Amino acid sequence: MANKGLVYDGCNFFRQRLVLSLLSGKKITIRNIRSKDDNPGLRDFEASLIRLMDKITNGTRIEINQTGTVLFFQPGLLYGGSVEHECNSQRSVGFYLEALLMLAPFMKNPLRAVLKGVTNDQMDPSVDTLKATSIPLMKKFGLDGEGLELKIVKRGMPPGGGGEVLFSCPVRRTIRPVQLTDPGKIKRIRGTAYSVRVSPQMANRIVDSARSVLNKFIPDIYIYTDHMKGANAGKSPGFGLSLVAETTQGAFLGAELVSSPQGQGDVVLPEDLGRNCAKLLLEEVYRGGCVDSANQSLSLLYMTLGQQDVSKTLLGPLSPYTIEFLRHIRDFFQIMFKMETQKQAEETQKGGDKVLMTCVGAGYTNLSKTLK
Amino acid sequence: EEESEGETDKWGQEDKGLSPARGGRRRKKEEEEEEDEETEVSAGALQWKQGLAQKAAEAFLRQQSATPNLRKLVYGTVVQDEEDNDDEEELGGLFRVSRPEKSKRERADAMDCSRFAPDTSHDWDQEEMLASIRDCFVTGAWEGDK
Repeated sequence: MANKGLVYDGCNFFRQRLVLSLLSGKKITIRNIRSKDDNPGLRDFEASLIRLMDKITNGTRIEINQTGTVLFFQPGLLYGGSVEHECNSQRSVGFYLEALLMLAPFMKNPLRAVLKGVTNDQMDPSVDTLKATSIPLMKKFGLDGEGLELKIVKRGMPPGGGGEVLFSCPVRRTIRPVQLTDPGKIKRIRGTAYSVRVSPQMANRIVDSARSVLNKFIPDIYIYTDHMKGANAGKSPGFGLSLVAETTQGAFLGAELVSSPQGQGDVVLPEDLGRNCAKLLLEEVYRGGCVDSANQSLSLLYMTLGQQDVSKTLLGPLSPYTIEFLRHIRDFFQIMFKMETQKQAEETQKGGDKVLMTCVGAGYTNLSKTLK
Repeated sequence: EEESEGETDKWGQEDKGLSPARGGRRRKKEEEEEEDEETEVSAGALQWKQGLAQKAAEAFLRQQSATPNLRKLVYGTVVQDEEDNDDEEELGGLFRVSRPEKSKRERADAMDCSRFAPDTSHDWDQEEMLASIRDCFVTGAWEGDK
């Protein structure tokens, strides 16, 4: 390899690097992947992600050394089309979906992906939350139409998995710049309490306790209970709650909590889970902004790849993941954001300080999109 | 502090005046010392209150100066510990001591996860915390122009 492209160390921010590499067409080399770990090299879930990236592209060259501690990635053309992928169950489908959400609008053909594996786990955003928060966010950037869909066909809890998710997304030639500066006020709270292979009563218990916390703020709360049965219930038992607060300006703030996987961790009572999840939502409201903390990087990416025009988005405090993403955007696209802290006035009770992110889009055009 | 010292002096003199007959010198001294201690204690107790406004102002300024640094925080030159001077000790000139990884390397190899852990100092059982987000809801106060 004469030209290594951009060189990074370690396995953290793996998805960001692959995604930005694919979008910018820049080669990357990631070295020292868990080089000092007892079990060095890429894990199965990372290999699974690489395989998925390979499926949706054409001409991607991947080289991994024998110990798996060095990865060379030469991006190919984002091809899209119909793909089916068995996601490794070490991470939930959300892990893979987060990467797909970033790539999907820039494919040659509209993406239609069937992802199988764990739909809800404690680490990654669940499919329910992505559906409730990321999809509306994508619509703000002009990615709407009937082609945009995220559907849970089967639910699968860790460790067994066995879930199935359908994600389809239309392609766009350009992304619309946005001005999301006013988050508005929260007008309603929606949610999904789900349970599989446990008593359906669990979901009702979750709903009651979550309501008890949130009712202090707003009466318009509706939490659906979703109990999947038989073949649609995956292989392991579990339950959880995904909450989303919708504002008058169409901003969506999400929070979620999932029970511990069978045979691991502490036993979680549905009442505690409901209450704690409601508190997480309050925390998210406190952070505020037009985009919730989990979707910060998605919105920043679309802003970067927008037309050559000014985009603005008001965010809550930047998460460590987002901060790293901003650095990566600078590496791959040479775009730096202007960040202005907006102090909250003393007398208003609107949570913590916000950050106004401003950038001029890179004027990215999806040249590979087929014209019809 | 000068003032408080002055006060002790005054009290000390008063004591002298009050116990002229039996008061051995030693006792007087003791009393004086006690008094001194007391005032010291009370002065100590009050010390944290001194310049509270100033301290608050300083803290505010510190925060103020911290926020524009957001740009620096994100894009600034990250202070990277030199990898070259990894203080790996050699044992017998052949083996290297493998130390538990340091913060930087740990971060480089940390789990790739977008979740943003909530601020642990926020206790959402407290009424004040709940009040702090009241206006984020349509049920809260609205600005005049809306």
